[in-house]
Amino acid sequence: MTDDELLRRYNYDAFVKANWQPWMQFDASPPLGAAAPDFPLWPLAGGTTTLSAVWSAHTYTIVEFGSFT
Amino acid sequence: MNQLAERVAARDVASVFVYTYEAHPGEHYPHLTSMEQKYRHAADLRDRLGVTRPILLDALDGACHRAYGSMPNMTWIFARSGIPIYKSDWTDAHSVANAIDYFLDVSERRRNRERLAPFRVERLDYRNQDRVAFYQGLERSGPKAVDEFRAEFPE
Repeated sequence: MTDDELLRRYNYDAFVKANWQPWMQFDASPPLGAAAPDFPLWPLAGGTTTLSAVWSAHTYTIVEFGSFT
Repeated sequence: MNQLAERVAARDVASVFVYTYEAHPGEHYPHLTSMEQKYRHAADLRDRLGVTRPILLDALDGACHRAYGSMPNMTWIFARSGIPIYKSDWTDAHSVANAIDYFLDVSERRRNRERLAPFRVERLDYRNQDRVAFYQGLERSGPKAVDEFRAEFPE
């Protein structure tokens, strides 16, 4: 899959099964109890951070994934 | 989730919201095509829906979101070490509160020098299905979002 195709498929333009179902991958997500992958993230307030910078700053970190819609 | 974040913040628990894709794109909030647009939608999440937790934007290709299973509204809890200790394929504040209270108790027990070893557990949690609120959310995105959801999941 090319980068453009990935962007288009991930940011689908219509809620139809062929678009949303391929992204329902919870069963393939990282297991509990093992080191998790790190990624860059961009705070709405500005700047850049990483998921690891967030989780390493506190005893526990609750991360909700979602969007306006 | 905002209330939970405020309740546990003093116990060194951070709460953040990672902005992903538009699960139900509509006329008012169409699918994302740029980071600038993603910043605008995330600002509306803060300003219109009142999310008070820090909002962090994932890359436009959802690299972080996809690596964690790309469910539209899921929640994970991480320990400081980067080890995930809770994950749910849907966000429910009662479930998350139950989990974080348990982990805070674990921390307290460790401070009291109890010897604790982790083990795995699976269970099903239950959430309220508020169809009215859900459709209100779809309407904020636009009629297209409502029509597409009704077509996918007829009542």
